[in-house]
This record gives sequence, C-alpha cells and structure tokens, in this order.
Amino acid sequence: MTRLFLLLISALITVAGALALAVVLWPLQPPTSTIPPNGDVARGAYLARMAGCIACHTNASAGGAPLAGGLALQTDFGTFYSANLTTDGEFGIGNWTVEQFAAAVRAGISPGGTPYYPAFPYPFYAKFSDQDIADLWAAFRTVPPVSLPSRQPDLSFPYNFRPGLKLWRGLFLDSKPFEINADKSASWNRGKFIVTGPGHCGACHTPRNLAGARQVALRFHGAEGLPGGGRSPSITSARLNKAGWTMESLKYALKTGILPDGDTFGGTMGEVVRDGLSFVSDEDLTAIAAYLLDKEQ
Amino acid sequence: MKKRFIFVCAAALTALSAAALAHGGATGIVKERMDAMSAMGAAVKSISMMITGTTPYDAQIVKSGATVIQSHAGGALTGLFPKGSQQMASEARPEIWSDWQDFQTLSLRLETLAQGLKLAADNGPMHGSDSGPAAMMGGSGSQMMGTEGSMMMGDSGMMGEGSGMGSGMGSGMGSGMGSQVMEMNPEQWANMPVDGVFNMLTRTCSACHTRFRLEKK
Repeated sequence: MTRLFLLLISALITVAGALALAVVLWPLQPPTSTIPPNGDVARGAYLARMAGCIACHTNASAGGAPLAGGLALQTDFGTFYSANLTTDGEFGIGNWTVEQFAAAVRAGISPGGTPYYPAFPYPFYAKFSDQDIADLWAAFRTVPPVSLPSRQPDLSFPYNFRPGLKLWRGLFLDSKPFEINADKSASWNRGKFIVTGPGHCGACHTPRNLAGARQVALRFHGAEGLPGGGRSPSITSARLNKAGWTMESLKYALKTGILPDGDTFGGTMGEVVRDGLSFVSDEDLTAIAAYLLDKEQ
Repeated sequence: MKKRFIFVCAAALTALSAAALAHGGATGIVKERMDAMSAMGAAVKSISMMITGTTPYDAQIVKSGATVIQSHAGGALTGLFPKGSQQMASEARPEIWSDWQDFQTLSLRLETLAQGLKLAADNGPMHGSDSGPAAMMGGSGSQMMGTEGSMMMGDSGMMGEGSGMGSGMGSGMGSGMGSQVMEMNPEQWANMPVDGVFNMLTRTCSACHTRFRLEKK
C-alpha cells in the first residue's frame, strides 16, 4: 500500500517536472515583420505619450530620469517594476534592433526569447502598424541613456515561474492586428484604433479573470481590484450614452479631467489625463469620443 | 395606545437614521467635507461651462467661483481631516495622514491657484478649450524629450504644470514639483489667460483625488 502510494507520488512528480520542462523548452517564435527604415520622431513621441510608455516607464515621484523605468505597479499577482527603455546599451534597449523592438512591443517577446508579463500591455500594442513601430523606434532612439538596471518583479508562486506565461499566451493572448470597420467613418475607426490599441482603455475598464486575462464578454464593463486597489466604471457606449455623455462633455473630460458635474477624475484616470490624454490632439479626442459613444462624425 | 405611539415614533426614528446612514453615513466632519467639495464642484462646473463656451464668459462669475474655492482650500481643507478621523466611514484614503505633507502642499496650491484665478478672471480665456499641453505639441521639436523642453515655455499658460517641469512625467506628484509651483505667487498667475490658470487649478483637484480619494463609482 505504502509502496503504491510512493510510486504514485513519484509518478506525479515526474509528470509535473516533465510538463514544467516542456513549458521551459517550448520556444516562443516572434512573428517576423518588416519595419520601414525611416520613422517620424515627432509622431513616435506622440504615440509613446498616448500609449503611456512615458508615464509608466518614468519613476517621476522618485525623481527618476525619463523612460529609465523603476515605477512600481502593485497587482494581485505581486509587484511589477517598469523596465529601463533608455538607449543605455547595458541596461536599456540601446543595443536592440528594430525587429527586436517590434517583437517586444507587439508580441511581448524579449530579444532573448522570453515572454513578458502582460502587466506590460503588449496585447493592445499588437494593434500598432509597421509604420507606428518605425516611428516609435525613431523616438526611443532619441532618449538619453541612463545606466540603471531594470528590476525583476516580486511575484509569488506560481506567477514567478516565467515560462508559465507561455501557457497563458496560448490560452488568452489575442494579438490580432488592427482591423478597420468599413461601415464606419475614418474618425470612428481612428477612435477604435486609439481605444483598443495604444490607449489600452480595456486594461482597466474590462474586468479580468483569475489568470489576469481580460474577459471579452464583459468588454468595457468596468472592473475592481485595479493596480493600487482602485475600481473603474463601465464605459460601454450604452452606459455612456445613458449617463448623458455627449461628444463635447466626453472630449472635455478626457482632455481636462473635469466631469460635467464639476468633479474631477480621481484614481488612475487622473494620471491618464495628466500624462497622456491632455497631450492628445483635438482631432484624436473627437475620434475617441466618437468610438466610445458609437457616434458618427 | 400611548405605548403604541411611542413604538411607532421609535420605529420611524430608526428608519430615518438608517436612511441617513445609507446616504453615505455622512455626519459631522465628513458631512462638512462633502459640503465643501460640493461647493467647489459647483464653482468648477460654472467656470468650465464658460471656458467651453457653453455659457457666455463672465469674469464676475469666475471671481465669485474662485472665492468659493479659495475659502475651502488651504488650511480650511486640511482642517477638515484632523488626525484620528481616518476611522470614520468616508472616501478619504489613509494616505492623507501618512503623506500629510503632500496633502497639505496640494491644498495650499489649490488656495494659491484660486487666488490667481480671481486675478486672471479679467484676462478672459485664450482660445477656448484648445489650450493645454496638446496645443503646445505643435512645435515640440524633433526629440522625444524635446517636448519636455518646449513645455517649459508655457505659451498657453501651462507652465509649472504636469510634464512641464520634468518631474511630472510619471505618476504621483513629485514633491519637488509641488515646491516649484509653490514658488509662484498669485500675482504671477495674474497675467495668464484664465483658462490656463483654471486648468492648473482643476489638475490640482484631480491630482489630490488621484492620491487621496477612494473611488467608489
């Protein structure tokens, strides 16, 4: 009896070990892409601002240099620290190629072939076009180098087993490129691109399951337990229209943080406005509002 | 009969106080906070409607609104959050008391900006809702960090705010940035377009809500 039990246990351990090894050895193949050689720095900087690269990868309250990383993001899985994205050759991305940059941003795969945790919202950035990547890369090349090592996340088991992310990717990752809805206007489609791509609105406004993956059926329905402990309201077009939002009031709120009743955004939305949306052009704010309210412009 | 009357009265009283509790449980100092915030919110609403062109611009309304905000800012605001009041049910986050210095800085900054808003009221708005950082992005140079540099020039009155001073790029209010803003006095806001000062004022509200208010919506 005891022997059978021991045999069973050792068999289980062997199987678990083999599975873990298989996951570790399972190679991640980033999609090959041809990035245009010339990028527009100003456009790339604008996209970087819109996408939150600068906000999340700058530890401003600790006086950190722009894009040198180190900002903590507290989640249910543990604490993540944003990486150094400066041109430093040792600790930053100074020695990367544009193809490696594309694979990191759009597919969440490091130059060494390891997967990134989705605290980095690369599933959204998969919507970036080849030209967007070229522009972003051109902008990142202008960032002064900062010699500061990136800090590894403090996660509990099993989340600290990074190869396990390959399973997560297989189960949940949707990295489809942006698709234009031909029935809608150019502005609406631009709004769709911003909201579902660089703006990564769903990162906070769509609830996540126990594995931290967004629940597609509850898209934009609002979520609890956000990083830092906040909660976000529903931003479905039905909800926003029902609550009386108009193109004008929504654009003004997104640009300034001022709500129609005279209150101002709190939570992380205040930071989103301050570090991102307040820099977005009027045309793009119109596009965002048109998409969120599902109104034609 | 009399006993029954007393019973009904007691039941009614219980129901009433239950209703009061359900309404956020706001009594005493928490109620005072809510009233102060509501008064400031009403002032912000009336001014923002003029800035966006929804209602015609009236410097007098800006001045009275700024006076309301000023009266509830600074020490009047921090005084509503005495030590020990964190046990009460409210939307106040415990960080108010653990990061008291930052809370105080934001509160004083709100007071200064409200004074400045009053002085800038007669300047009128610059170009409606089109001021703010994005308007400055136009000539933002060809470097990612070049946008930071150009922000410092503050051609539409956003100097000192947000990303302009270099420390505001990430989250959180750098205490360094707070002190830089504090170096400005109300008279320096007096020459700025009113929407620029108003923008900075409401960003102060938002910065404070971001750090110190629980989001229950």
